[in-house]
Amino acid sequence: MSRIGVFICHCGENIGRTVDCAQVAQAMGELPGVVHSVDYKYMCSDPGQALIKQAIKEHNLDGVVVGACSPHMHEKTFRKAAAAAGLNPYLCEMANIREHCSWIHEDRAEATEKAKGLVRFIVEKIKYNRPLSNIFIPVNRRALVIGGGIAGIQAALDIADGGREVILVEKESSIGGHMSQLSETFPTLDCSQCILTPRMVEVAQHPRIKLLAYSEVESVDGYIGNFEVKIRQKARSIDVSKCNGCGECTKNCPNKKIPSEFEQGLGFRTAIYVPFPQAVPNIPVLDRDNCALFKGRAKGVKKQVCGKCATVCGRRAIDFDQQDSFITEKVGAIIVATGYQLYWIGKEQESEILHGYGEYGYGTIPDVIDGLQFERLASASGPTGGKILRPSDGKEPKKIVFLQCIGSRDRAKGMEYCSKICCMYVAKHTMLYHHKVHDGKAIVFYMDIRAGGKGYDEFVRRAIEESHALYLRGRVSSLTRNGDTIRVQGVDTLSGEPVSIDADMVVLATAMRPQPGITSLAQKLSVSYDLHGFLNEAHPKLRPVETNTAGIFVAGACQAPRDIPDSVAMASATASKVLGLFSNEQLEREPLIARVDRQTCTGCFHCERVCPYGAVERFEVKDRKGNLIKVIAEVNQGVCQGCGTCQATCPSKSIELDGFTDEQIFAAVNAL
Amino acid sequence: MEELRELAKKLLQEKQVNAVVGYECDRRGVRPAFVDDPAGCDRLVFDHRCVQNLPAYLSPRRTNVAGLGRLAVVVKQCDARAVAGLIRESQLKRENLVLIGVRCGGVAANPNESRELGAETLALRCYGCSGTETAMADYVVGEPKTVPAAGGDRDARLAEIEKMSPEERLALWKEWLSRCTRCHACRQVCPMCFCERCVAEKTQPNWIESSPHIQGNFSWNVTRALHLAGRCVDCGECERACPAQIPLGLLNRKLAKIMSARYGFAVTDDPSTPAPIGSYRLDDGQEFIL
Repeated sequence: MSRIGVFICHCGENIGRTVDCAQVAQAMGELPGVVHSVDYKYMCSDPGQALIKQAIKEHNLDGVVVGACSPHMHEKTFRKAAAAAGLNPYLCEMANIREHCSWIHEDRAEATEKAKGLVRFIVEKIKYNRPLSNIFIPVNRRALVIGGGIAGIQAALDIADGGREVILVEKESSIGGHMSQLSETFPTLDCSQCILTPRMVEVAQHPRIKLLAYSEVESVDGYIGNFEVKIRQKARSIDVSKCNGCGECTKNCPNKKIPSEFEQGLGFRTAIYVPFPQAVPNIPVLDRDNCALFKGRAKGVKKQVCGKCATVCGRRAIDFDQQDSFITEKVGAIIVATGYQLYWIGKEQESEILHGYGEYGYGTIPDVIDGLQFERLASASGPTGGKILRPSDGKEPKKIVFLQCIGSRDRAKGMEYCSKICCMYVAKHTMLYHHKVHDGKAIVFYMDIRAGGKGYDEFVRRAIEESHALYLRGRVSSLTRNGDTIRVQGVDTLSGEPVSIDADMVVLATAMRPQPGITSLAQKLSVSYDLHGFLNEAHPKLRPVETNTAGIFVAGACQAPRDIPDSVAMASATASKVLGLFSNEQLEREPLIARVDRQTCTGCFHCERVCPYGAVERFEVKDRKGNLIKVIAEVNQGVCQGCGTCQATCPSKSIELDGFTDEQIFAAVNAL
Repeated sequence: MEELRELAKKLLQEKQVNAVVGYECDRRGVRPAFVDDPAGCDRLVFDHRCVQNLPAYLSPRRTNVAGLGRLAVVVKQCDARAVAGLIRESQLKRENLVLIGVRCGGVAANPNESRELGAETLALRCYGCSGTETAMADYVVGEPKTVPAAGGDRDARLAEIEKMSPEERLALWKEWLSRCTRCHACRQVCPMCFCERCVAEKTQPNWIESSPHIQGNFSWNVTRALHLAGRCVDCGECERACPAQIPLGLLNRKLAKIMSARYGFAVTDDPSTPAPIGSYRLDDGQEFIL
């Protein structure tokens, strides 16, 4: 016969107001197997817990049922208390008589009856509880960081400095990300490359960082502590072990008129190229789509068309026949830091939720550019050497109109979210413009100025007061060519007057979007994402850098629009989470997972097909001589999340979910 | 018939298989035969009385059959669906098996019937069947045959029951299922009932009350039918084996129609068709989720 103790909590007035707790405790005391039943004002308080601990010892209890709030709230508290008194923690269960009863009912008599039913349900269930012990899973103490922008760099360096190995995967040929394209950064106007490139070099030289540039994650298997990641190393057409980055190949490449991605199309590069001089690793990549040799091969020309780069390469590092290669890495945690792209607001859109802004002439009027293009114009290493010049004719613009919130906060045609960084970088752009073109006039159209952050509002005030930027609150309806200039038609909503400006150049602060391909990566990682493709954090306030898949973390603009300080802070947060995870050789987890009855499992593998986590594996049962008897299902303890789908599906009922076995549920249901 | 016997003899003589599972005939009628001696191959027959679903012997749970080693099995097109089902559910490996596909002219509803096979005597499951051999067959024997025309609508009885009110239907099934003695012949004969320990025999907890009482009888028969949803190969052996003559085929048929309407799934002799349980499509009907 069981020796169960029942403890009914009043939760102050929360339960006691609607449920007659004393009556519930008395009724439970009369159930067979219950040897002790009391009620108390606050069970979770120290005296309340002491009551439980004392009763366990005094009455030699083998089960504890606490009728109180949701197990989400205090199950851990009470299990800990039970364990402190020497009872297996999994022999302590909660009956939710607050959220499921007192908070949602008014009639005291009826609520009291329901509370009795809810507690009785758990009393009958707990009679079939078995003592369980926590599970320990080994941890592979190496981390994978996906994305080599500032967030990925920061996370990789923090983890490596913490003493653990890191694999940093970057899809472009160099790390650095968007930050390497920026001229200066708000709110301090320090030079982006000056603060970033030392960090990049640190990554390349760190003994515990393995940098895999020009590589992408192909597939991810496994679970927290034990991921197995297949990485595709894309063919650079360069033997990395031979190349010393002398740059002879790029100098001699005859195809010099390819729009440079790094320069946002404002400058040119060769077919074999390094994206920018400070690239890490400083190894070129051959763009096969634009290379004369590969174009010739594609056309079926038998003679080798070019090959000049190979001729000039003193180290014979050029390999035109190089293929993509694959490597597999075992890691214990994964940080996703894939960053953002800007919303291409031309009329043509890749997805039906995007509409584009044909009226702004982006992509057709050459002097209508976006924020990143302006960064390149303002950058000392940019295509104009840091002079602000119009892309169309190379003249210095005397009047620039900046438009904020292009594609952001626009439910009709863009994204409903705020892209967060635009207010600040537009203010920065007006300052940079004023510094470089003293007689230039900057006019900003804005909806609101969102400058929350340390030194941010002061920065915007400086743009207005010291750099004399004219801020007009209102929207622009169209941008049209007007001879040499661009006619900006808008409205100043503070004065209520329509505004028409002839600008020399227009800069659009377009919305931030996650990188293309984020959804397929998220699917490989089993991480959820929102309508726009931003990855979902586990909890917006309390678990901001974790995802719902244990062992996978998010940093930077792949989770939401982020500026550099935010991205770096997030990256360090993920690193601290990862280092915390790696501080133990083994991971401890609750044992409430599925268990296969090896005797009766028939190996039909319906469970394998329905498992949403891929936790069911195949196990060969052999006799002593090693002869195969049968192949059955086995649950991977690290992967199983205890959802119970397999338990419901198994035709012969050979899978049980510990803590929620058929026997327990059967007994509980029969008690109703 | 000679072709079948010659093939069986050859397979045994060349030691390609240890035994051939087919049909034999004596004065009481046709029954399954296990032939492990080339000389015994002359016992083998195949005609419209060969109703049994021989792949039912292939479940690894039938240890005395599994102990025979590599087998050749005579299969009609419909029997091959059971082979495909067993492969789909990891109970069989195709490479461990030789399938002798027979061309079938339909089988009798009652194999002991002395009348010629025709519209009245044809088994319901043969209605509309082409009688061709299964695509899975390693060897094909027999001349192409024509299955007699159907003797009416196969689902006439089902339609009648569907028209009834829920109360009438319950009364009807109560009457039928009260006859069940829980002999489990339906389970033993079913090629797809291969569990080591049937849920009906699970005692902790005892999901299905084991005494032949109407309550447990309902639990058992409904569970059996539901466990076969999307898996039943429509061989009709459960109904034929039932000593209480409960029309179990009606339950199976109704579920097959639901699987077809809701998930577009029809049981086939192609083992690569995904099983409806555990396969997910975005356009799966969800109207039953409240």
